[in-house]
Amino acid sequence: MKPLNRRAFLARSTIAVGGAAGVTAGLASAERARAALVPLTAEDASNDAGAAASATDLSTSRPFAGVHQEGVLTPKPAHASLVALDSFAPDRATLAQALKALSGRAQELTAGGPIPLLEVDAPPADSGILGPVNAPDALTITIGFGASLFDGRYGLASQRPAELIPMPSFPVDQLDPTLTHGDLLIQICAQHRDTVVHALRELLRTVRGTLQQRWAIDGFEGAGRGPTKQSNPRNLFAFRDGTANPPADDAALMNQLTWVGGGDQRWAVGGTYQVVRIIRMHVEFWDRVALREQENMIGRSRDTGAPLGGTNEFEDPRFDLDPNGKRIPLTAHMRLANPRTPATANQRMIRRGFNYHRGFDKAGQLDQGLVFIAFNQAPSRQFVPVQTRLNQEPMIDYITPIGGGYFFVPPGAQSQGDWVGSGLFLT
Amino acid sequence: MPRGRTALALGLAALLAAGFLAVFVGPGGHSGGVSAAPASASAGAPALATYSEQAPHVASILNAYGVEGGVRGESGNPADPLPPVSAAAFAAPVAAYERFSVRQLQSMQPDIAQLQAALAAGNRGAAEAAWRSAYADYLELGGVYLEGPVASLNQAIDGTPGGLPGGVASRRFTGLHRLEYGLWTGQALAPLVPVAERLSANVSQLARLLPGTTISPLDYATRAHEILEDAVRDLLSGTDVPWSGEGVLGTSAGLTATTEIVGTLAPLLKNREGVLPVVNTELAGLRSTLSGLAAAHGGRLPTNSELSQEQSERLDAATGQALEALAQVPGALEAAPAQATPQIPASAAQIDP
Repeated sequence: MKPLNRRAFLARSTIAVGGAAGVTAGLASAERARAALVPLTAEDASNDAGAAASATDLSTSRPFAGVHQEGVLTPKPAHASLVALDSFAPDRATLAQALKALSGRAQELTAGGPIPLLEVDAPPADSGILGPVNAPDALTITIGFGASLFDGRYGLASQRPAELIPMPSFPVDQLDPTLTHGDLLIQICAQHRDTVVHALRELLRTVRGTLQQRWAIDGFEGAGRGPTKQSNPRNLFAFRDGTANPPADDAALMNQLTWVGGGDQRWAVGGTYQVVRIIRMHVEFWDRVALREQENMIGRSRDTGAPLGGTNEFEDPRFDLDPNGKRIPLTAHMRLANPRTPATANQRMIRRGFNYHRGFDKAGQLDQGLVFIAFNQAPSRQFVPVQTRLNQEPMIDYITPIGGGYFFVPPGAQSQGDWVGSGLFLT
Repeated sequence: MPRGRTALALGLAALLAAGFLAVFVGPGGHSGGVSAAPASASAGAPALATYSEQAPHVASILNAYGVEGGVRGESGNPADPLPPVSAAAFAAPVAAYERFSVRQLQSMQPDIAQLQAALAAGNRGAAEAAWRSAYADYLELGGVYLEGPVASLNQAIDGTPGGLPGGVASRRFTGLHRLEYGLWTGQALAPLVPVAERLSANVSQLARLLPGTTISPLDYATRAHEILEDAVRDLLSGTDVPWSGEGVLGTSAGLTATTEIVGTLAPLLKNREGVLPVVNTELAGLRSTLSGLAAAHGGRLPTNSELSQEQSERLDAATGQALEALAQVPGALEAAPAQATPQIPASAAQIDP
């Protein structure tokens, strides 16, 4: 057997990044990806295409390329994995090649299509756990950079996005170093768990030896259980989460709250700051707390999600009519997080978290919680003041933030052959 | 759970199914922790009762209705909700607890003195033993989650490095866990002497300030279960004692504190929903489990990592059982009747766009 080529990702990434900026339709994109792959026999292609087409719920595809990356404003699918990676690239050029390969493979996976057929005496090009044709399944792969990528190793220090710092430890945090920070973060989301697991496995293979996994966590979204399509699913404290999210379809608002504009690094325009907090929720303890106390800690009715004293999840809580907290305590989570005043309007942020469950801790307690994910135009204006207000909330007894980090999600790959992060290497 | 209780609960299925509990719980009231919704939903739908009837926390509430030695509300009429406990009734229990706390802090000083001496003498083994005693002394106070100046003193005595910038390297990292870190990670002992001196001073200061602090009735009643909740969350998990692993010792100390607090509340808990006998039984069960663990480890409580899988599960089970019972204490001691939540005025209601 030949010695392994340590930079094998170069050979394994078979496809250049394609797609017109921002407008790549799913099917067209999948077709292009198929065309670029090693052709199957006509018979195989026909069988596989038929199988994939019959699974209609798997056929939704999200474009990888675009002005902005997917996975930020994209509607949340059911499953997610986050994996943080550290770079062991010996030099800047190798790092750039790894990032290019990462985007290339991500493009293939999100588009879907038949997997390439190699010689039978070679390991297969794809693990094949989704079968001979990878269905897109609303897969999104979002690539972010941590502050440590901008240290001295690759000459990137002068291009660090203005607000990208290592996530500080807030007063209630018990950050586990093995669950915190990282040179890169890849967020993988799809409708089905096996699609996410497959993408993770393929992406790690693509950059093996150069980008090494540091930590990972899996998340899931509650099923849509109504009463309406708009009703938000519940977190593991049983309260609806995401109710007060700013509307992602308001492009002008997103330019004020989510996307980085002028004033930051030029290459960063169109990107966003991703705050990840792995928040352990002590659910047994929570289940031993009276319902009234639970609702007062959150500020909402557990069943309906309505602000206390209201009937509809999306009702304005009218804090202005309750200045002393007689209806909704002044320390309620919703009130501290979003006081709904003109002064705090620009602190709102897109929250796109997932529940997590990962067994039990050493005390036999369920290790469950929330992978809090928030996208910010400027964390110092948004996440940080909100979190600082929440440091005093009564709910802190029932949660422990144990990991996460600050990451910068660059703008999307924007043209033929482009890749996420390419703007960093132009100079 | 004990078989006897299952049988009792099963016997009550018909009662529950008939909406019996709904009689006690007015709209918007959470008397005794039972929500109106499941009870009323179960009326005419017997199958719904099968889950909750078997849950230990519901079983202890069922005792309130005069079954198996449980005691009804003062009128003896099951249709009467319990009257609230007056806030004044908490004065004597809180005062007794404060006297206990001050005694506890005073008894901590000889252990700190031994710790200082062992550190100065360079005797790590003796210093670790003295640290264990001092740590247990402090946790026997029972989670002094205090506000104002005493909160920062508590942080200086028992604070962990988690929330500090720089973690263990922070200059603000001091007290019992700074000593734990130094002792169990092989640090030189002499530089720890001033840390122990400062600990002693902070403990003295806390003993002086403690009698002047106030504890609300709700906080005091809640503490009856929160001390052991914290032990499970922070100690048996290893989170707060990463170096010594003394989570079992800490849990044992928390049990002592809980027993003390429940003891002071016993007069108030008499005739309140039958909670006290259940709590006392489960606390005794946990104490007995801990004694068994010590016996199995040469008379000393084992560290978290010294627990076998079976011992660890047994302790988790006993702690969980005690907590389900203790969680009934705050509800049984409600100092004010539950008020209905004010409504958003209809004219002001707006749906967000």
